[in-house]
Amino acid sequence: MNNNANKVMSANEAVRRFIHDGDELIIGNYTVGTCTELIFEICRQQKKGFTLYSQSGILDVDVLVNAGCVDRLVTTYVMRSGGKKGGGAVERALQAGTLEMEDYTNFNYNARLVAGMHGLTFIQVLEGVMATDLFRKRSFMGEDKYRVIKCPYTGRDLLTVPAVTPDVCIVHVQRADKHGNAQYWGALGSVAAAALCSKKIIVSCEEIVEHDVIRQSPHFTIIPAFRVNAVVEVPWGAHPTEVLGHYNRDHFFYGMFTTANTREETAKAWMDEWVFGCSDREAYIDRYAARFGIGMLDKLRAKAFYSAPANYGAAFTSAWDENGKERSMGLSLAQIEQRLAEKGMLYE
Amino acid sequence: MSKGYTLNELLIITCAKEIKDYQNVILGVGLPTTAGALAKALYAPHATLMMESGIIDFEPLVPLNHIADAHACRGFSYATDLFTAFTMTYRGFIDICFLGVGQVDKFGNVNTTCIGDYFNPTLRLPGSGGAADFIAYAKQTVLTLRGGQFVEKLDYFTSAGYMEGGDSRDRSGLFPKGSGPSMLLTTQGVFRFDSETKEMYLAQIHPGASVEDIRKDIPWDLKVSPNLTQTERPTDREIDFVRHFAPTESVGRSMRTELSIEHAFNRAKKRGKV
Repeated sequence: MNNNANKVMSANEAVRRFIHDGDELIIGNYTVGTCTELIFEICRQQKKGFTLYSQSGILDVDVLVNAGCVDRLVTTYVMRSGGKKGGGAVERALQAGTLEMEDYTNFNYNARLVAGMHGLTFIQVLEGVMATDLFRKRSFMGEDKYRVIKCPYTGRDLLTVPAVTPDVCIVHVQRADKHGNAQYWGALGSVAAAALCSKKIIVSCEEIVEHDVIRQSPHFTIIPAFRVNAVVEVPWGAHPTEVLGHYNRDHFFYGMFTTANTREETAKAWMDEWVFGCSDREAYIDRYAARFGIGMLDKLRAKAFYSAPANYGAAFTSAWDENGKERSMGLSLAQIEQRLAEKGMLYE
Repeated sequence: MSKGYTLNELLIITCAKEIKDYQNVILGVGLPTTAGALAKALYAPHATLMMESGIIDFEPLVPLNHIADAHACRGFSYATDLFTAFTMTYRGFIDICFLGVGQVDKFGNVNTTCIGDYFNPTLRLPGSGGAADFIAYAKQTVLTLRGGQFVEKLDYFTSAGYMEGGDSRDRSGLFPKGSGPSMLLTTQGVFRFDSETKEMYLAQIHPGASVEDIRKDIPWDLKVSPNLTQTERPTDREIDFVRHFAPTESVGRSMRTELSIEHAFNRAKKRGKV
């Protein structure tokens, strides 16, 4: 069953209703354009105890770890602010022993999502990793991080990883309709698989569009409505990261975060001001404009470079032609009914 | 006084009533598409209609030519692939699907592959297509039998219904608990499956049909519900919808062919051909 009525709600409501302490939480976005407003809202609601999945941790993972939301992390890439002293929240949490972590390769990680998305319990991955410490060093997943099986066809050793089906995915996209059809384009990464392997999906988007827009461009839909639990319209919802067709990455502001993130006290001050100190994204943008001027954001706005439209049209959309005749039989409805009656095919 | 209806219209309308609002529905060609279109228009506006080719959430405007017919709608919501359409079913996201039947046995097992010996067939039917996987993992399957037959033993076991009956389907461990055929629709009536024995019984007869006639086509001692009902007469609204959406389905294949040929000849004559 789907719940395809109107799923539009605030970030506050979506996080409150669909994300719980101790969840397996997956960040759907990958390296570019992450769902910062949903992440900030999770921090504001002080959710705890997540096992967090992220294809490639950037600001998103570090903000959640800074806020103390994450117990366990499964990823392939940890953000550094640069240089030996440029560690961030993940490094500090590992040093403090408050975070457990499993390392995978990008491909291994993505394969786990693909297996989950398709209902498989495990999936074969590229076996070269067996020569490395990725295979040998195991944290909280232990034996189940990787298992080796014999190929029933060739007899060779095959490396496998288990499927993952997180409790909830958070993901930011360009546009969605109120039913939840989510459209995303640009670097596809593992975005669709992250969403589709999850049990619940919260979509935030730059804009909510009419259903007709979706229907005219189904090739851009990465998540169908019947899988989605909440749709949150939040312009600038990925700032300071980028959204193709909307705005570029805000290097200045991103740099402010990475600089602050190198030390616990400055990271805390940044979080206090920009995450906990703003009740929602509108308040965050207001604060940004007040501090730095709206012109800073205007400079980031995308110039249009539209995709060419695809023609989804057919020769006709009705069984009846312009003269009211059925196309193959060439008769009007009244004539067809008369023939049916003559042949005794109508039951009373 | 209500409108007269054709047998095909009665079947389509009876089938459509199996679709409930908010369900995710896999449609096949012919009767099920029209039933799906009718359900979406009249009873189940939030249903998500899907084709196994990966066309997800469409509103049919004309009957489908096949299960990859994007020409039958005006756009749709999500374009995925066949592989994902099936794994979506495997994961339990499909509430109901519709399958046509070549042969069916008393436990709703289905043959759509061949009549006679598989390696030397009397009739070679289409095969599984999506059938074996859909009936396996959709929460509920509606079987439709128009030209097919009831048999004690299938000539080829294409798709698993309730297997040997009783709890054998659930016990096999291959299928989600509680899945399987929920109904078999024929030109004479509606059959359902006993909740314990999983043997089909006659639940409903169409106006004009008789239990005696129905028994003639069934090689085992058919059980009949003590609460046997008559199929509801279609309303004018339902008949009008079907007749406008799919007039060719309303009249049925033989009359459609006859009238189409007549029309083509008349057209050719007017243009000085023939």
